[in-house]
Formats: sequence, C-alpha cells, structure tokens
Amino acid sequence: MKREETTRLHPKAAEAKDLMERGRLSRRGFIRVAALTGLSAAAAYAMAGLPQPAYAQSMADLPFPEPEGTPQMGGILKVGMQVQKMEDPATYSWTEMSNQTRHTLEYLAYTTPDNVTHPMLAERWEASDDLSEWTFYLRKGVTWHNGDELVADHVRWNVERWCDPNLGSANVGLSSISALVEEVDSGEKNEDGTAKMVKKLRDGAIELVDDHTIRFKLSKPVLSFPEDMYNYPTAILHPSFEAPFSDNPIGTGPFALAELVVGDRCILKRVTEVNGAPFEYWGGDVYLDEIHYYNFDEDNQLTAFASGDIDAIYEFGVEQMELAKALEGEIIAARTAQTLCVRFQVDKAPWDDKRVRQAFVKACDNPAVLPLVYAEGGDVGWNHHVAPIHPEYFELPALERDVEGAKALLADAGMEDLDVTVDVGNTDGPWQQTICEVIRDQVKDAGITLNINVMPPSKYWEIWDKTAFGATQWTHRPLGTMVLSLGYRTGVPWNETKYANPEFDAALDEAEAILDVEERRAVMEKVEKILQDDAVMVQPVFRPVYTIVNAKVHGYPAHPTQYHQFNKVWVES
Amino acid sequence: MVKLIGRRLIQMVLIILVASLLLFAIFDTPEFKRRLAVQELGGFAVSALSQDAYNEWLARRGLDVPFYQRYFNWIGKIVQGDFGFSYEKNRPVGPLLADRLANTGILALCVFALMIPISLTLGVLSGMREGSGLDRSITFLSVFTTSIPEIATAIILTVVFALGLGLLPAKSAMIAGFDPWQLVLPVLTLVIYDFGYVARMTRASMAEVMTSQYIRTAILKGIPYRRVVMKHALRNALIAPFTVIVLQMNWLLSGVVVVEVFFEYDGFGKLLLEAALFPDVEVVQACTLVAVVVAVTSQIISDVGYTFLNPRIRFS
Amino acid sequence: MAVTSLSPPPVPLLKRLQKPRIAALIFAIAWLPLMAYVMAGDQLGDLEQYVLVPAIPAVILLYLICMAAFRESWIALLGATLVFFWFFIAVAAPYLPLIDPNKPIAPFTTPLTEKSGFFFWLGTDFKGRDMLSRTLWGCQRVLVWGVTATFVAYVVGTAFGLIAGYISGWWDEVISFLANVLLSFPVMVLFIVILNYLGPSGFNIVIAVTFASAPAIMRIVRGLVLDVKTRDYVFAAQTRGESALWIMVVELLPNVRGPIIVDACLRLGYTTVAITTLTFLGLGLQPPDPDWGLMIKESAKTAMLFKFSYMLLIPALSVSSLILGFNLMADGLREMSLRD
Repeated sequence: MKREETTRLHPKAAEAKDLMERGRLSRRGFIRVAALTGLSAAAAYAMAGLPQPAYAQSMADLPFPEPEGTPQMGGILKVGMQVQKMEDPATYSWTEMSNQTRHTLEYLAYTTPDNVTHPMLAERWEASDDLSEWTFYLRKGVTWHNGDELVADHVRWNVERWCDPNLGSANVGLSSISALVEEVDSGEKNEDGTAKMVKKLRDGAIELVDDHTIRFKLSKPVLSFPEDMYNYPTAILHPSFEAPFSDNPIGTGPFALAELVVGDRCILKRVTEVNGAPFEYWGGDVYLDEIHYYNFDEDNQLTAFASGDIDAIYEFGVEQMELAKALEGEIIAARTAQTLCVRFQVDKAPWDDKRVRQAFVKACDNPAVLPLVYAEGGDVGWNHHVAPIHPEYFELPALERDVEGAKALLADAGMEDLDVTVDVGNTDGPWQQTICEVIRDQVKDAGITLNINVMPPSKYWEIWDKTAFGATQWTHRPLGTMVLSLGYRTGVPWNETKYANPEFDAALDEAEAILDVEERRAVMEKVEKILQDDAVMVQPVFRPVYTIVNAKVHGYPAHPTQYHQFNKVWVES
Repeated sequence: MVKLIGRRLIQMVLIILVASLLLFAIFDTPEFKRRLAVQELGGFAVSALSQDAYNEWLARRGLDVPFYQRYFNWIGKIVQGDFGFSYEKNRPVGPLLADRLANTGILALCVFALMIPISLTLGVLSGMREGSGLDRSITFLSVFTTSIPEIATAIILTVVFALGLGLLPAKSAMIAGFDPWQLVLPVLTLVIYDFGYVARMTRASMAEVMTSQYIRTAILKGIPYRRVVMKHALRNALIAPFTVIVLQMNWLLSGVVVVEVFFEYDGFGKLLLEAALFPDVEVVQACTLVAVVVAVTSQIISDVGYTFLNPRIRFS
Repeated sequence: MAVTSLSPPPVPLLKRLQKPRIAALIFAIAWLPLMAYVMAGDQLGDLEQYVLVPAIPAVILLYLICMAAFRESWIALLGATLVFFWFFIAVAAPYLPLIDPNKPIAPFTTPLTEKSGFFFWLGTDFKGRDMLSRTLWGCQRVLVWGVTATFVAYVVGTAFGLIAGYISGWWDEVISFLANVLLSFPVMVLFIVILNYLGPSGFNIVIAVTFASAPAIMRIVRGLVLDVKTRDYVFAAQTRGESALWIMVVELLPNVRGPIIVDACLRLGYTTVAITTLTFLGLGLQPPDPDWGLMIKESAKTAMLFKFSYMLLIPALSVSSLILGFNLMADGLREMSLRD
C-alpha cells in the first residue's frame, strides 16, 4: 500500500505525461508540470526521454511553455473571433474582449492550458498558514510601454480600483477581492429609508512592503488567490489608464493595439521601441510580428477557416467536427471544467421532494451521455460539479443507473408518470439541447416525461436563476472549490438551485482552508459526496472546447477558457 | 409634375415620422432593454445586478427616459445630420452606415450592370415573336429562375463553383481588402433571382407594342422587320421595364439581407440583421430610414421617369 | 321516335366536383386535419395518429379535380403536380415507412449508404438524422405555415380592400395611407423588425406576413372593387336596401375572385420563400422539428464541403420545387383566364 503511494504519479503529472505522449504537450512543457507537482527533475527528464541538462535552464523562472520545435521569427497570426470593444479591462464582460487585450496587458498569475497556475508579473507568492494573508513578490525589470517600471504601487492602484463601488468591476465577486472589502454606510438612503450600504476596500487591507512586494490581508481565508489573479478582468493596468483602453493602450505585454474596428478587426503589433529606446520584454523571446483578429460569428469561424482567410479560430462547435476533420488543420480539444447543470430548484415543487430529485438522477446514465454529445474529448460528470481537470478532484465511485429504484422512489413520493419541462437556452451552442434530449430518452424508461423548452439564449439568461427546472451552462474555473463556493453555498447570489445545506457549507469551508492539493482532495470526498447525494442536478458532461489551427502555426495554446496567450506561438513562413 | 414630386416627398417625411416613432415604441419594451444589457454585460452579470445598478445602467445608456422623448431627441439629431451611436460596433452610425451602404452599393451596381442587359435582351427576344419556341423557353427559364429562392441559388452556386470546382471563394468577407472575385457569387445569386422578373415585364411590354396598330402598319408597309423592331418598337417597349428596374432598387434592399448573411459580405443587409438581433436601436432606425428613403425615391423616379418617357402622358 | 323526356346529359363526376363549394369542402377535409396536426399536434392526444387519414384520399381527389380543371394548360398541370406532390407528402408523412426525423443515428452518412442497420437514400445530417425523412416531414411546416400566413394576409387585405374600395371617403384615405406606410418598408426590413419584436415562431410569422402582404393585397382588391362597384347588380342590391356588408361579401367578393386566385398562387410562393429565408436567418421556426430553412441554416455551418453538400442541396431543391409549383400554377391560371 505504502509502496504504491510513493510510486504513484501526481494526477497532474500523469495527465501531462499523457498529453506529451499524444503530442499535445512539448517534452519540456511536461518537465515543467512534473516539477511543479513535485516529481524530481531527474525522473521528469527520464520520463520525457530527454537528457538532463548540465546547467539550469535559462527559461526556468518564466511561466511560458517552451516553444515547439525550432521557432521562426516574424509572421502574422490571423485569428477568427468576435471583435468587441475594449473599454475598461476591469469591467470586461466577455472573454473575447480580454483576448484582444491579453497580449498587451498582463496578469499577476498565469494559468497554463493544463490548468496549473504559475506566477507571471509576480515572481512568486506566499500565503500565511491560515490562508488569510497573501504576499506577492513582483518580477523586477518589467517595463510599461511608456518606459515606466512596474512597481507594487501600480498593483495597489489596480486592486483599489477594482474595489471602487462606482466602477462595478466583476472582480469584487472573486473570493479573493471580496475578502478585501467591507460593507459600509454610503450616507445615502434607500427608497425604504434604510441606510444604503456599499462595499469599500477595508483600511489596511493592502500593505506595500517594498517597491516590488505587496501584501493582501483578507477578512477570511481564501485559497484561490493566485487563480483569481488570472481571471480575465484582473489584468494589471498602468495608473495613467483612462477608458476606453483602445484609445491609450499601455501595457507590459509584447504587443500593442494598432487598429480596432469593433465588429470587424483588431490588429496588434509587436512593441519594438519605447521612447526611442528598444523595448525589452521581460518574458523572453516572442516570435510573432502581428496578431490579427477578424470578426466572425461563432457559427462562421470554421467556414472562414475553411476558405483559408484565417489561421486559427476562437472555437467551433461539436456539430462542426466532421467539417473540421475534413479540413487541413490541427484540431485541438481542450479539456475543461465547462459543464451543463440540468438542475432542480430544491424549494419548488416537485423538486422540493428529495425523492423526486433522486429518482430523476437515478434514471439517468451519466457515462452514456458524453459519447452521444461529444465524440472526441470531454469528461464524465457525476452531479457534483468538480471536474477531473480540477487539481483537487476526488474520484467518487461511479453512479449506477437504477431505473427500478427510480420508479420505486417516484411511487413512494406519489409522483408516478412525472411530467416535467426543462428550460434550455443553448447559451453556448446546441450541445446543451442535445444533452437534454439524451436525458429525455433515458428518463423515459422510468416513466418520466421530460419536455424540452428551447428558448433564445438572451431569454434564458433572464430566467436562469428563477426557473424551477433549467439547464444552465457553467464556465470553467481553475479550482473545484471556486465553483462550489459560487454556486452551491447557502444564499450566495448565483445559487440557482436554492440549495441550502449547512453540512455542505462546513465541509466546503474546511476544504477551502487547505493549501496542499493532496490534503484538500481528501476533504473533497465529503464535499462531493454530500452534493451528489442531495441530488440537486444531473450534470453528466464536462465538455471539451474545440479549436482548429493551420498546420504552419506552432504552439497554439488550448486553454480551457479560451484565453489567448500567444507569447510562444510561431508561424512557419 | 413638381406637385407630384412634392406630394410624394411630403408623404415620405410623414411615413418616416410614423415608422420611426413605431420603432422607438417597439424597442422600448423591458425585454429589449434587458436583452441589450445581456449583450453588453453578459448574461450572468445582468442577472446578478441589483435593481439600482440596473437602473443606473439604463440611465447611463439613456434608456430611462420615455421613448417619445428619445424619439424627439433623435429627430432633432437627424435634422442636424447626426444618426446616433452604435452600441454594438462602438462607433457613430453615420460613417458605419456609409461604409456598409457603399459596400452594398458596389454589389447593387454590379447586379444592375449585369441584370439590365440580360433581362432586356431576353425580354425583347421573347416578346418579339409571342408564342414562338424561343419565347416559350425564355418564359419558362424566367419562371424557373425566379422560383428558386436566393438562398437556394446561393447554395447551388457555392456548391458548384466554390466547393466543387474550387474556382471561386465560398465567402465574401474580404478581410484582406477588396477582392472582386469574392463579389462574383453574391452578384450572380442576385442576378439569377432577379433577371426573370424584369425579362417577363419587358416581354409583356414588347408583346403589347408588337401587336399595336402602328407596328402592324409599319410591317405592312414593307419596312424590314429588323428595322421596325429596332427603330419603332424598342423605344416604346422599354418604358414599362424602366419603371420596373427602378423599383428593383427597393427589392434589392430586401434581397441583399440573405445574400449578405450567407456570403458574410459586410453590407447594409447584414448590418440591419445584426443590429435588429442585438438590438442596436439607433442602427435599426438609421437603416429603416435609409430603406424608406430609397423605396420612396425609387417610386418617385419611376413615376417621373414613366411620365417623362411616355409621350402619351407627356403631351396630354 | 323522338325522345320526349330529355334527361340532361350526364355530367362527369370530376366536373361536378369542380363546383366551388364542393371543391372547397374537399380542400377543408384535406387541410384542416393537417393544420391541426402541425399547429396543435401536442393537444390532439391519441387522435394525432389518425387525424390525417381522411386527408390522404381528399388530397388525391383534389389533385384529380385540379387535373381536370387545368387540362388546357400544361404549365398549370405541371405546377399543380409539384404542389400536390408536397401536399400529399405532408399529409402522408406520418404513415410512410420513414425513420424518426429527429432521431440521431449516424452523423454525416453520405447518400445511398447503409450504416447502423439503416439504409440512407439521401444520407444523414450533422446530428445523424435521416435526410430523406427530414426533407419529407419538413414540408409539413413550410406548407402549413406558408398557406396559413397567406390566407390570413388575404382575409385581412381583402377586408380592408373591400372597405376602402366600396365605402371610400375617409376610410379609403386612412387605409391607403397606412398601406403606403407599410409598403414603403422593404419587405425584409419589415419582417426582421416584426419578428424580432414578437419573437420567432410560426404564429408570429403569420402576423409578420400579414403586415407585409396585406397592404399590397388591399391595393389590388381596392382597384378591382372600384371597377366593379359601378355595375348594375350592385346598384340593384343597393336599391333593394341591402346592407353594405352584404353587398361587399355577396355581390362584390365573388366578382373579384378570379384575379385574386392568380395573385394568391404567386403570393404563396413569396411566403414560402420568406419563411425559409427567415428560418435561415434565425427569425423563423425553431428547432428541433425538421423544416427546410432550418436544415439549410444548420448545414450552412456544418457542411460547407463538397462531399457533404447534399445536406444543403436537398432542402434547397425541395423548397425550390414547391415554389416553382406555385408559380407555374399561377402562370397557367393566368394564361387560362386570359383565354376565356
């Protein structure tokens, strides 16, 4: 037993090895992951089939993966994506907007496509034992496009700005930033005469230790501080910033905005000089000269790729897979924690009866859903919303489908011939409806009639947290605890199931207080089990995200949230 | 004549006033405002907004005032030549619309340049000898082509020339600048759909002229058939098709929507559809305005032109 | 020996059935079940399986009647054949040995191949649904919504046309102005604005088509009425003291019928195009039930490749053949009416 544990590969490393063997991860990339997960360098190099280098790698302290093959300098990468406006990066509401800025503005941390978070503008970080104090040590020698050097005060300016109630940044919703603010009386009155409360930065929450060190003192332990710092609206801006960003695009990244026509194109060019002096980018070699985003709706990106206008696309849907396969290009299926929660509202009939929910869940066969929806890639979900790609994922025993049990439970609840309607908005493509259709066919065996009410996406977002039975899409978040905290804690705003279980909240608190991934995983067993047993949803699939790139493009990242970071991408001429 | 034009213009202004008021009223519903908010802020974010924050957003967007007030503001701006601002494309509507109209203009120009000679020739040939084999084949061809919807024509052309033979680009997004080859399929689609109608109108008009007294007399007098057709018949036969062709401008504004969307061509039709779905109200308003002006103008031109060309009306 | 009691020569059955009332009755037998099936299939319950049975012989009979009536014009015959082919398919679809049109089986199977135990004559679409079955089922929705929308537009347009033409005066001024307002919009603009406001659905298409077509219909009817209302029999009715409503419906309407029917055939074609196009643009009928516009919309993003182009071509050709049918019928009818 003991022996087995010591030789067991960290799941992250195992997955990285798998990726490497399938050619999706460079050998050097594998070594980096392996090193982060505690595998000795010697073992890692042996596993990658590379000779161990005699001296330390020069790139070792940079977060970016090694480039694929022998990179060529120069070239233009043309990407099909919706081109949106670039107003204020702290209030961005779409990933596409952030992709347009991500080559200019950078983040304290960087979550690589394999879902491991590395320091980026920070060189390293430390957390206190109780996870309520986080210290970030900034990288030295990072310059802005106006010649200034990045200092801790700039970071303070950004964080303070996020906390400004008048800005309305979604970052306040991150558990890290929300632990920096407090509710205070705004001095104004609500219509009913009560004092109007606003959230404001707590005094003393941010401490500048020195020019390159900043410390955050939180009101509660937060585990996901580094992960939060790569969430797309947390880009670090220069304090001279004024919206819209597109008018004065100063950043620390290798590219700067050259032209933006919303709904048409966004042209980025490499920064070569600042105030007449050559610009020295901190992050090592960057190969592309220009990045061009051209506006195509999601449905049309693949056909535009087919016509040869563009080299890569933001995303294509699974329904386009056959077309993609027939094209000349490399299909990339990114593993993600993006999912569809076919969820019940536990305070509304008939779902307020736990037996009905359990019966519904029992009638479903989760592993049978994935292959019918996604022929390639993806993971099976077990109704607890923690994905295998999450570092703390604990693998519970597989759920057995039990049609007879479901019938018995329904009979017990007096709900034979259950006839229910699920709302689905296809907010991210028709795969959502397909999942519902598969579930419909499955639960039919238990005598349940499932009707599917398809509505336009915008309509669905109006009712997603109000409908008694709906299929809601949840995006990828780097840690499993992050999504559970957002969606299933008692009374939180995004708790669409109205689930309220103190036992679950307590178990989740416990998990969120543990920094060590292995230890946390042990606690996650309980968290996942409680949620699964309470049967608040059928959540059978963690979907893959597909993209396609031209064969002449190398090192194109397959990020689970489609964040574009093209530092090491190069194009064959 | 001046009176007629004046009457038409007054009518046009009235129609625009009524139509745009209706549009403001239509886009004033809470659902539309919410849809706009979802487009701009994202679905999750909007549902998490408090009522206060939502009202603030409405105020920032200028959507908190009653629609008639916005309507009058809008009219005030239009009079000064300001078409408003597109939230979706993040730029003033005026230049945006000008760009897109120019693109559609190029498309339309090519369509007319091709469609007019084809349809007139076929129509005249067909109407010259009513009931002949040529006439029957041309008539059938024109019924056939006008019966195939633009979307189907677009598909067939794309499948044959772009996907099958690989001769032409399948899409017309023109991201690397203007490319005349990318214009071929959209133009052909519109021409194929449209020429049959004009050809049939020409045929009817030609057939009528050919049976008229003075042509018969001319033929009986022994003037060569060719000369009768070229010198006497054509001039009178082309009056009716002229009005039809001018009125096709109006039709084209509808027809381009599906063609532009299918071929991804950035023109007026695609802009209108995107704006309506967004909903980008001021763009929809401006597009409607343009559409109505084009429609009414083409009616005026066709009326005036008809009067001008037709001696029977001119001299009576 | 002369025959003393002359019995009238026997009228052929088909000739007798051509009488408007009888033909209309047969049409109702064929049409109403289909309408109920498509618009309210969910509410029919067990009846759903049988409701279309009487419609099948009715459609065949109706076709024979048309054949007899149109025998002078081969164009009209060809058109009627195309239209009735789809009409027959629409009512017979539930009883044909077709694979479930919404059942995903084997995605991207090319035509004339066998896969997963099924033979696919026309292949399958991106979800693996049988194209043959989807194409045949698809005509139901296009046909029913197209005809209903045209019919409603005609009722509204004719009513206003009768009022404007017969009563004239202020009524005429107001109605004509409103019609002018609507006619100044390019049709597609009107469709987009209305459907965007109401939301995409079959019933809303009916409303949108009514707004777009009724003004033009009203103009035609008004013109015809202005011509007819000076006739003697109208004066006779007026002197008899008949009400305006009675005169409009009983005296005027039957006498403007001819041109309206020709125009209706043409307009059926336009409406079918409009529905297909709107569905392609995402403003029309909603998935998952099969419908040609939807099939085009879905294939346009999944099958832009020569070897999959059958997915685009099949619905495109189907809709073209139906519209061609309507247009040929209109052409033939006009030809026949000119000859009379």
